[in-house]
Amino acid sequence: MERTGISPIEYRPWKGERTAQRQRLYVIARNVFRHKLKSPGVLVLLILGFLFVHTISLVFFILVPHDRVDPSAMNDYLGSGFFATFAMLFAAVVTSDLISEDLANSSFVLYFSRALKIRDYLGGKAVGALLVMSLMCAFPPVLVALVSMVTQGGGDYVYSFGVLGKTALVGLIVTVFFVPFGMMISSFTKRRSYAAVGTFMSFFVLALVAGVFSQFEQAWNVVSPINALSYLFGWIFEGVVPSYVDSAALVSIVASLIVVPAALVYFRLSMEAIGK
Amino acid sequence: MVGDAPGEGTIARGGSVHISARDVTVTFGPVTALDGFTADIPRGIVGLLGPNGAGKSTFIKSSLGLLTLNRGTISVGGLDSRTQSLQIRDFVGYMPEHDCLIPSVNAVELVCYLGMISGMVSRDAMQRSHEMLDFVGIGEERYRPIKSYSTGMKQKVKLAQAMVHDPKLLFLDEPTSGMDPQGREEMLDLVTKMASSEKTILVSSHILQDVERICDYAVIIDSGKLVRSGEMKSLLAGEADVQSLTIRGSTAALSQYVRALEQVCQVIEKRDEAGQQLTMSVRGCGDGRKVFKLAAENGVQVRSFRPERLDLEEVFLHAFRGGGKDGH
Repeated sequence: MERTGISPIEYRPWKGERTAQRQRLYVIARNVFRHKLKSPGVLVLLILGFLFVHTISLVFFILVPHDRVDPSAMNDYLGSGFFATFAMLFAAVVTSDLISEDLANSSFVLYFSRALKIRDYLGGKAVGALLVMSLMCAFPPVLVALVSMVTQGGGDYVYSFGVLGKTALVGLIVTVFFVPFGMMISSFTKRRSYAAVGTFMSFFVLALVAGVFSQFEQAWNVVSPINALSYLFGWIFEGVVPSYVDSAALVSIVASLIVVPAALVYFRLSMEAIGK
Repeated sequence: MVGDAPGEGTIARGGSVHISARDVTVTFGPVTALDGFTADIPRGIVGLLGPNGAGKSTFIKSSLGLLTLNRGTISVGGLDSRTQSLQIRDFVGYMPEHDCLIPSVNAVELVCYLGMISGMVSRDAMQRSHEMLDFVGIGEERYRPIKSYSTGMKQKVKLAQAMVHDPKLLFLDEPTSGMDPQGREEMLDLVTKMASSEKTILVSSHILQDVERICDYAVIIDSGKLVRSGEMKSLLAGEADVQSLTIRGSTAALSQYVRALEQVCQVIEKRDEAGQQLTMSVRGCGDGRKVFKLAAENGVQVRSFRPERLDLEEVFLHAFRGGGKDGH
């Protein structure tokens, strides 16, 4: 049939070169970060977290006279459990749709029909989530420590820098701690709401188990992720852990809550994306 | 790493991309999806035909290295799907059959994002996304979330994302699935246009008319096995000495004529059309003099007598009945 009017658009081969094959992880991370920052739920929690967790401490550190950044005060601020609990809630929301959305939409095939490794896919998702988590868990504590250092009365800045470094380490640990677990739960369901509640409830159940068994043996407290983080922060800031806590068990539990979920989610995705 | 694989140089220079499967077996638990499948798929538009569950999608996913082969090999552009799947996926575009788009984003964002995951820099990916969406006919609606799209629009977006990085080889899995007649026409036109740019396009479909219209070559698959394959022309040509004969007359005259004809030719197949007309496939009737002579003697009209030409549906049915010949 003879065509009239505007010429139809023909297929034009692309003459360019693909040069960004190594940046796939970064592309996925950036996409996750952007979408999270557009999400009302994430924004609300960020604002609430900044107000209730960090701003009060920030004002306190400015108003109360101090000679240097006090590690004990930083431990009270970050290790009381409130910070870790809020971080847990935030992580549950941030990680809930990381994988569950691709499961629900069957979008894996769009990713893995390209030259994308599972490692890069998971890495990209995790880095994006970690960046968002760091806005709540890493940068504000460092900012609070920095403000405390700027407003200190004494001149022992070397010591204060040391506490600032420890604060950064604590922020990094909290940022990293919850993301693999949240991603693992997200890879088990197609519903983001289930993933969010599942992540939160899993930690809650561990805390419950710790609460019940610690009545018989206090060492069980370490099973609770929130308690484990509190003990770890005390160890980092003040160099001590309660006598009933075994340091090796503490490190093992924190490490296993990061490594085991990460390995499981990798395995789960290998089964899901590369058939059978 | 991309670029290290043997054979990739040929692909990068635009050499022909063909697929070769040898004795491929893929099972899912007790179900055998591909069962010793062997086929050579040349360059051009190639139709992969078969009923639902025949193993078409399994073959495509296996070629991409997305499924583990139990036995056999698949070579895509000279690369082994088992060990070089990443290199294969780097020059392949895949349009999946099922719904797989991310509903919360718009078409531009999605196609651009997938272009970047294919290794394009951001600016190129954005420009190319708009080109591809123009090409497939997604207008201003490209800025609306995909969840608001019709099935036809989603199919077009799936095609756009498969082509955004200008792959040498395209796998289109049921590209017209769920589309209305006009949408189907548009989709087939798009595929034909793309083929003019020296691409190999493998179209998996169970809609025979679509494949017959656009494909140069067809591979028919059933129960995971190759049933028949060959160039479309040769598949549709039928057998060399087989002719199609249509006659008309009274029931008695037709019966008498057929009995007489069977004495001089081989009647392969008869199709009675409302008692007054009969269409037959006959072999060995030569130039047709005997056919016309017998018609005159028995009082029936010869409405047509011509070399047999099949449509793809007949080829398909012949193949499943075990008739016909391999086009190789």
